[in-house]
Amino acid sequence: MASFDVMPDTQLYQPVELADALELAARLGENGWLLGGGQDTYGWIKDRAKNPAAMIDLNGIEALHGIRETADGIEIGAATTLRDVIRNPLISEHYRLLHDAASRVASPQIRNVGTIGGNLNQDTRCWYYRRGLSCYRAGGNLCYADSPQGMNREHCLFDASRCVAVSPSDTATAMVALEASMVAESLDGQRVIPAEKFFVGPRTHITRMTSLEPGEILTSVRIPAKWAGKRFYFEKVSDRNVWDFALVSIAVAMNVENGTIAESRFVCGGVAAVPHRLRQVEAAARGRTLSDEAGEELAPLATRGAKPLNYNHFKLPLMENLVRRAMRS
Amino acid sequence: MDFAEFKRDVWGREVLLGVSWDLLWVILVAAFLFIAIHTVYKAAARKGPRPSRDGERVRRHDGVDRAYHWLMAISIFALIITGVLPVFGIEFAWLTIHWIAGLVLTAVVLFHIVRSLFWQDLKSMWISAKDLREPFDAAHKPGKYSLAQKGMHAGVTVLTLLVIGSGLTMFAMIDTPWWERSNALSEATLGWVFFIHGLSTLLLIGMICLHVYFGLRPEKLFYLRSMWKGWISRDELSANHDPERWKPRAPPT
Repeated sequence: MASFDVMPDTQLYQPVELADALELAARLGENGWLLGGGQDTYGWIKDRAKNPAAMIDLNGIEALHGIRETADGIEIGAATTLRDVIRNPLISEHYRLLHDAASRVASPQIRNVGTIGGNLNQDTRCWYYRRGLSCYRAGGNLCYADSPQGMNREHCLFDASRCVAVSPSDTATAMVALEASMVAESLDGQRVIPAEKFFVGPRTHITRMTSLEPGEILTSVRIPAKWAGKRFYFEKVSDRNVWDFALVSIAVAMNVENGTIAESRFVCGGVAAVPHRLRQVEAAARGRTLSDEAGEELAPLATRGAKPLNYNHFKLPLMENLVRRAMRS
Repeated sequence: MDFAEFKRDVWGREVLLGVSWDLLWVILVAAFLFIAIHTVYKAAARKGPRPSRDGERVRRHDGVDRAYHWLMAISIFALIITGVLPVFGIEFAWLTIHWIAGLVLTAVVLFHIVRSLFWQDLKSMWISAKDLREPFDAAHKPGKYSLAQKGMHAGVTVLTLLVIGSGLTMFAMIDTPWWERSNALSEATLGWVFFIHGLSTLLLIGMICLHVYFGLRPEKLFYLRSMWKGWISRDELSANHDPERWKPRAPPT
């Protein structure tokens, strides 16, 4: 594969009003690339693996920045940097799960410029796909990762459908655990999409990671107050402690009443193309107390239905151990 | 408009991905134009008296063949809906429904092949030299099937076998309850398989448009009834077929 030292010629639009950005997004459609912090974008474009005709830089739009308290929780502008998310007292006090997840994204330098919207919308890290091969996700007819010779150590355990890539977003798992909603706007109006439906797997959208349509812009994320101040657990296992993607991560929100779990949401990252809910674990956790014994009982439920590939069986005990650790008192 | 879709990979090589789905519009427009012209032509043509559906009934299709026909129709419609809609942006979890419908189609086609070879009059569907007189000689009546029906059957046969053959090849490339997928075929070969599958699907859509149109034409409605109920009247037989070339069995009870 050829390598390039410089970016290709690309048109750059820098709107300062959301209306202008929406008009540009509608006009350019799939030829327009929405630019947040650019941390996922620039690699794609420099390598010529994606060749958008134009980029729409959303960072100049004031309405997309900031964290606001609302009647039912908080609303985070999509162009808010991960650093601002981490440093926000509302989030660190009431939605610690998101704080912890955002704190584990990449490196401090990347968190300084990377946005919450960009982190949620980032594309998968499958290297066959990112090298520009014409795999299923790139619109082709085969998967290079799921083959006898394919290197699939980082790929999925659940819900593969031709493509075996995983969602790389650390904050996505937290958003699903916190029952967040994504606000998407276009010239046709506004859609509020539950986080679980925002992220889509290859069964329905093999060439996309989210349900955002061309012409739509993720403008904000709403997190309801339902889980504010509850018990949270986030852990990310990766090859390096910084500047790396999760091999497996877990985001857990629990409502613990009188020492027992009344309700919980266990969500794993790095094991499917979407943040993966551990519904059997959640059901079995109801009415249990936090303890090593409960963790031992719940852990095997996490991997039920998993279909490991040639090189990622190690993710099974990782997942189970993360459930055990989340259940510690 | 392109005939096929290609992708240039990261090394600059052109990779065949499959048929260009723009062809669907060409086929639909062509089918619509044919139907419109035929409708006008038939409306302008002198109409003779329509044979009566009353009186003695004769058997045209056995129950098992009617069941086969409708099962095949359901599976083909399921395949087209699940295969084509996602291409045009109506996305849903289509793949499992698609391959299940594909297996149903394969099974009923295999059943039909065996039945037609050993239990049916295979020659009644063959196109012979005699049949070619039909369009030019109004007095020349067909046996059980007209030239148009035989032509439609031949076309659907070829396209269905192509779509099944290419579909089964693609089926081996995905995970199923019975096997894990194989990446045994090269990208170029797969491109041709997808191309054949897509092109035969598009042509089948065109054939189906015509089939449905002719099935619903007023003077042909008795064929649709026979595919539903099994019988036509003696009068319809005499008006449209040569009793010497097709001697139907007793009517269904």
